[in-house]
Amino acid sequence: MLEPFQLPFVQRALVELLLLAVLAGTLGCWIVLRGLAFPAHGAAAAAFPGLVLADGLGFAATLGGFGAALLFALAVGRLGARRDGDRDGDGTLTALVLVAALAGGIVLASDVFHSAASVESLLFGSLLAIGPGDVRLAGAVALVALAATWLLGTRWLATGFDAQAARALGVRSRAPDTLLLALVALAAVAVLAAVGALLATALLVVPAATTRLLSDRVVAWQLATVALAAVEGAFGVWLAVELNAPPGATIAVVAGAVFALVALIPRAREAAA
Amino acid sequence: MSALVAASDLAVAYGGSPPALAGVGFDLRPGERIAVLGPNGGGKTTLFRALLGELRPARGTLVLAGRCASVPQTERSRLDFPVSALDVVLMGTIPGRAWWRRPSRADRAAARAALARVDLADRAGRTYGELSGGQRQRVLIARALVQDADVLLLDEPFTGLDATSAARLEALLAELASEGRGVLIATHDLEQARRWDRVLCVNGRQIAFGVPAATLTHDVLAATYGGAIVTLPGEDAGAPHHAILPPHHHHHH
Repeated sequence: MLEPFQLPFVQRALVELLLLAVLAGTLGCWIVLRGLAFPAHGAAAAAFPGLVLADGLGFAATLGGFGAALLFALAVGRLGARRDGDRDGDGTLTALVLVAALAGGIVLASDVFHSAASVESLLFGSLLAIGPGDVRLAGAVALVALAATWLLGTRWLATGFDAQAARALGVRSRAPDTLLLALVALAAVAVLAAVGALLATALLVVPAATTRLLSDRVVAWQLATVALAAVEGAFGVWLAVELNAPPGATIAVVAGAVFALVALIPRAREAAA
Repeated sequence: MSALVAASDLAVAYGGSPPALAGVGFDLRPGERIAVLGPNGGGKTTLFRALLGELRPARGTLVLAGRCASVPQTERSRLDFPVSALDVVLMGTIPGRAWWRRPSRADRAAARAALARVDLADRAGRTYGELSGGQRQRVLIARALVQDADVLLLDEPFTGLDATSAARLEALLAELASEGRGVLIATHDLEQARRWDRVLCVNGRQIAFGVPAATLTHDVLAATYGGAIVTLPGEDAGAPHHAILPPHHHHHH
């Protein structure tokens, strides 16, 4: 039953997912708590044309992806700040940029650089074909997310709790919040190899949103999210190999199903009672 | 004793627009509780933001001899947040620390002491959103106390509280004032305002300032609330009784 995990490329995928679970558990919780789920999805989508561009022009894909995602995240944050902390309240701007990024990426890939073959792996990841560089990137970004949580967690928490009161307290939120957005962009790029631009939130948002339903303290929540993301990732990879299904999408389906279960069980119980 | 706050001909504006509040002249002495009475948009929040240093006076002078701390309405904070009462009070220690420092043992001790001061020592570990409205208000007061505030600025602190919680909060404010702090309470509630030491009526400008009995006349209230005043038959010996028609509540998010 555990034979797939003896294959070297599955083992490498597993290591990648365990590192990304740390990222999902630390940064993912801040993304959910600060209402950045849609901007995070947008940042990952924005990375897509950046990757295509980098590929076509011949410079590091990671750099191209990060540049585009960062530009997007900071623009959303900047426009949001003008509206008194309410980041792009209804998400219209995020949706617009998301569509433009996807369309732009597809056009660039098919008509400019003729690299349509790799579009699918950019959008949905290629977990079983990742290289050591991807694993190193995941590890480095997970470390940065851990360190940033340790240092800035209380400020992110205070600003999210009541932005106006935090300002009155004298908590300067601009630099920490900008860093949070930059981290979201970095995380979006770190998960691309595993789950692609369109499924990034399967790792960055869904596990944290699931455990959010069960936890009432930040640290416990983050630990639970690391554990859940790791289990979902490992199970998803195993299932993907057994079923010969795309691993990124399989992990996303598993994560979505677990969320639905956790969200629905208490309600079903209430209804039965 | 010198005043904690002294404002003279103060005008406060947002950016380059005309002043949202003008002609303000009052003083807050240690141990004093002053009600700031006025309609929504009348300038109560503007005054508080000036006292907190978020807005600079456009005209006049504002002299602060102590540190002001804000106690916002509890509905403004996120009740679904995964934070304990102690976590919320600890937020008050952030400005005193460099950004790379985490709360120290001394910060935690100060936060626990502040919670004990508002009689919530046994609720330190409880989730903030699960506390009652009165308890949440006291947690936010503890957050102001942990900042060593000399002046507490409370925004509608009695809104939504039951009579017991309101009485308890009123007693706490009296105690905190008696220790030498100054307390400013923004309110719509005329009955509340009558019980404080002095009252400052604002509606875009200062309408009146003084002890409630002499200040809260029909004319002052009419100017403050733009005529939405009804006079009730006197309950006290001969004193006419005024009431304000229920204001429209605008919730700011």
